Formats: sequence, C-alpha cells, structure tokens
Amino acid sequence: MQLEIRKLAKRYEQSWGLTPTSFDVTAGELIAIVGHNGAGKSTLLKMLANWTVPDRGTVIIDGVDLKDRTAVVRKVGFIPEVPNLFEFFSVEYNLRLFAALSQTPFLRVEEILGEFNLLPFRKSKVQALSKGLRQRVNIGRALLADPPVLLLDEPTSGLDFEMTREVYRLMGTMHGSGKTLLFTSHRPEEIRGLATRIMVLHQGRLVFDGSPLEYFRSAIHEELYAG
Amino acid sequence: MMKNILLLSFNDLAIAFRNKTFLLIIFVPLFVFTSMNLIDRAGPDSTRVKIGLLQHYPYAPEITRSVNAAERIVEVTWVQNETEGMRLLKEHKIDGVLTGNEKVPGSLALAVLKKDSLHTVAIVQNFSALQKAAEGHGPDWITEVKSLHEGGVQKETFPTWILMLVLLIGFIILPAQVAEEKEKKLLLALLQTPIQDVQWLIAKLVLGMVLIIMAVLLLHGLGNFGPSHLFHYLAFIAVGSYCFSACGVFLGFLCRNQASARTLGVIFYLPHVLPSAMSDVSQKLTAVAPLLPSYQLYKPLQSILLEDGATADLTFDWVYLFLLGSAMFYLSHLLLKRRWLMGA
Repeated sequence: MQLEIRKLAKRYEQSWGLTPTSFDVTAGELIAIVGHNGAGKSTLLKMLANWTVPDRGTVIIDGVDLKDRTAVVRKVGFIPEVPNLFEFFSVEYNLRLFAALSQTPFLRVEEILGEFNLLPFRKSKVQALSKGLRQRVNIGRALLADPPVLLLDEPTSGLDFEMTREVYRLMGTMHGSGKTLLFTSHRPEEIRGLATRIMVLHQGRLVFDGSPLEYFRSAIHEELYAG
Repeated sequence: MMKNILLLSFNDLAIAFRNKTFLLIIFVPLFVFTSMNLIDRAGPDSTRVKIGLLQHYPYAPEITRSVNAAERIVEVTWVQNETEGMRLLKEHKIDGVLTGNEKVPGSLALAVLKKDSLHTVAIVQNFSALQKAAEGHGPDWITEVKSLHEGGVQKETFPTWILMLVLLIGFIILPAQVAEEKEKKLLLALLQTPIQDVQWLIAKLVLGMVLIIMAVLLLHGLGNFGPSHLFHYLAFIAVGSYCFSACGVFLGFLCRNQASARTLGVIFYLPHVLPSAMSDVSQKLTAVAPLLPSYQLYKPLQSILLEDGATADLTFDWVYLFLLGSAMFYLSHLLLKRRWLMGA
C-alpha cells in the first residue's frame, strides 16, 4: 500500500472534523473525496498534507510516518483550494524559490513552465494573473519535486467551465504518468469519468468507499445529491 | 541548513522591500533626525528638587542652614561619598549632588544626570534664590555644573529613539509579517518543502535583526556620532534585536491575521516604550520601568552612549536579553509545531 491511514481523527471545539477513519490507497489510484461543505473532506486532505495536526491516528506514506514532515513532503504534493503563492513576485521567482528549498534543479522550473503553458507569464507577478493561471502555477509548484502522491483540495473551485476542464485534463495527465491523486469535490457529477475510486464523507464520517459505478448506483448518492 | 536559512532570509527581505517596510526603516531615522533639530529647550520646573550632600564635606554653614530651612523646595539626602551620590543619581533617586569644585576652591560643583534637564535648571534657580535670601549678593555657591551624560539634548534622546526603533520593528513589523504568512498560508506552503521549522524561525529572526541594525546604523550616521566601542555596541544591539525579534515572531503566532497582529503589537509597544522613555523624568516610572524587558535594553544603551559605559559591566542585561529571546524562540517553535492558529 502507498498510503495506510489508521483511525485518523480531528476534533474541533464543538464537533468532530473527522471521526476516526481508516483506509488504504494503492499506487496509481485517482480518488475523489466527495461530500457537502463541512463533511470533513478538506480536514482529511490537510491532515495528510501536514497542514493540520491530527488529534489521533497514524498515516504511513510509502513507509514514512506522517509525523516525519521533512521526509513526507518529498512523497506528497499538496494543492490547496486557494493558491498560496508570494503574490508580489513573479511566477518564475515563486517556482525558483520553492525549487531551491526542495533541492530541485532549476531545469525542472523550465520544464514546469513549459508543461503548464506558463512560459509567456514567467515574468508576470502572481497578483496580476487570473485565478485559473494561479491555479496552474499552484499545481506546477506542487510538482516541482516530482512527488508520487498529489493531494488537491477543491482544485476547480471558482473556476469557469473552460478552466475546470483544463484542470481535469492536467489531473488526467498526472494520473497517466503514474501518480496517485486524491482530490476533493462537492460536485460528484463532474468527476464521474475521472476518478477510479470515490469516497464519500458526511458529517465527519466515511460513509462510502467504492468504484464510481457502485457509487452512482448507491443509495448514498441518491440521499446526498440526487434527492 | 545555512543555504535554506539564507534563501528564506533573502525571501523575507525581498518581501519587506516589496511591502515598503524598508521605507519605514529610512523614514523613522529621518524623522528622528529632523525632530531632534527642532527640539526646543523647555523652561524651569518649580517642583521640589532632591539634592545629595556629602556627609564629610565642609559646606559653608549658611548653605546647610538655608537648604535645611527650605524643605518645601529642596529635599536633602546625605550620602557617604561622591561615589554613592553618583550611584543614587544614576538610579534617579536624587536630582543632583553638591561636591567641591576643584577649579574654584571654596565653591561648589553640581553633578547632574543631564545639563539641559528641567531638574538641573530648577536646582540652580532654587539655590540662587536661597543664596540671595541668605547672603544678598555674593559669590555664587554653585560655580560649575557637571553632567554624567555628555552631549546635548540631541545625543541624550538617542537611546530613546533607538529603543523606539527596536520595539517598532520587534512589536509592530515582525508580528504583522508573521501573521501575514500565516493568514495567506505562505508559511504552510514553505513547510511543504523539506526545510526545518527552525530554519524558518531563524530566517525571521535574521530579518528582524537586519532591519534593526540597518535602522540603528542609519540613525547614528545621520546623527553623526557613534559610541566609543563600536564593536561591543553593535554586539549589544544584535542581542537586543535578537530578543525583540523573537518576541515579535511569538506575537505574530498569537494572531490569525495582520490586523490583529498590529493591534497586539501596539498593545505591547506602548507600555514597553513609555516607561523606559519617560523614566528619566518620573520617579514612579523609574521604579516601574526595570520590570519591563525593554528597560534591560534602554538602560545599557544610555550607559554606553551617554556615560561611556563598558558593555562588560552589563552582564545581567546581556544574559537577560539573550535568555528572554531564547525563551520566545522556543515558545514560537512549539506553536509552529502545533500549527497554532494557522486556520488550516
């Protein structure tokens, strides 16, 4: 297994962000984590990305304990819902800074700029870019160190139809190159043809885990989305 | 490790440059320099003055009689010797010491903290009045005024301005920058790379120390004077800037966003700057000020810059500032590990 998640849980002041949850992920899966707002999707992803400290449970990624942050970050790339880039600076500066901190050769920056069609914007300040372009830079930055696992939190949130398709195309390309992807969405219809596995969270609990075919025939889908 | 710290420090300095923090670093010393050139000298104060008299010095009987009789305007403290008098003077327990004037035998010299202070003017005026009442017109009792603080008003205000600069960067600028990195999730982005938590913290301290030392050097450059032992002085400023930069990073961790960081910063800034800056003119504040960390920076600055004091005599202050800074650094590290108030 590439990811082994055991009894992972997070409690906020009033309620559980995520009740103790266990599951495994094998290499090469493309998992959609769906659920309504507040279901615990982002909490789960942020704990896997080391953004939020879990209250209990263990996570092993490629044999490395999640608590060993400096080792885990080489295994996992996280793309948050809102791009967190140094907005005052150019696209190239951002990528080069993170490449240097990740001990990645600058040649990789050129590759990312090319792969994500960012070459015309390399000198543009991030604050001058559209939301879609920023998201591209955001995804490109996560891929700098070429991690085998990618976590994407609502990657198409706030994007128009064209940009949403573009992001899904990029995700398909990354999956095609052998990476494991976990992403959150509250619009299951959109990811029908994309995911290889769907997990449904509801009020902090994992209520479904199966294939897209099983999911769209399940009562859970009817109850949460079709009803 | 050093490479990451340098990269992060460079990035922090670049951010400080882009968000115009550097303008503040230039503006404040320029403002101070301009203000100091516009300082007016205030008039005499009519409050009661506290004067130290040497127990074994043969003061003229009319002087001791007049001083004792004028208890409404002069409070006398008898001291063993001149050394004790100077100590009480430095501790602001008395306003001046009357000693013999070696240059004019038979007359007196008045030792004060600052020649240009309101207390000095009040002492001289009160003694002049006493002399007229006791003798009519005769040779002046006080023929010389000696100051512990060398230099004019401009130089005397320097420690206060330096303290304000250090606290401004430590309590206002740094917490805002730390809170901004948390608010915009930039810190979390940096922690997605293999850097150590400690490296990020050290980079923030480097930012604070570089800004403070730059501002202090600029202020000295504009004021056109420096301490006699520049290296020791800079080392002391470095320890002070380490301490208050660490405090600033810690304050930043207590806040979710820039606005709350600025508010908290001002709440810490004013109490720290006021007692230290005002302690020279208030007995009550002089008693309270040593309880504040800022006083452990301000008092040595006064000693080094105005009294030509040696940094070797300031062991307590060095250790105090270093330990406080290290404690703040440790607490910040704990909060960073717990992703404290990062809103993730």
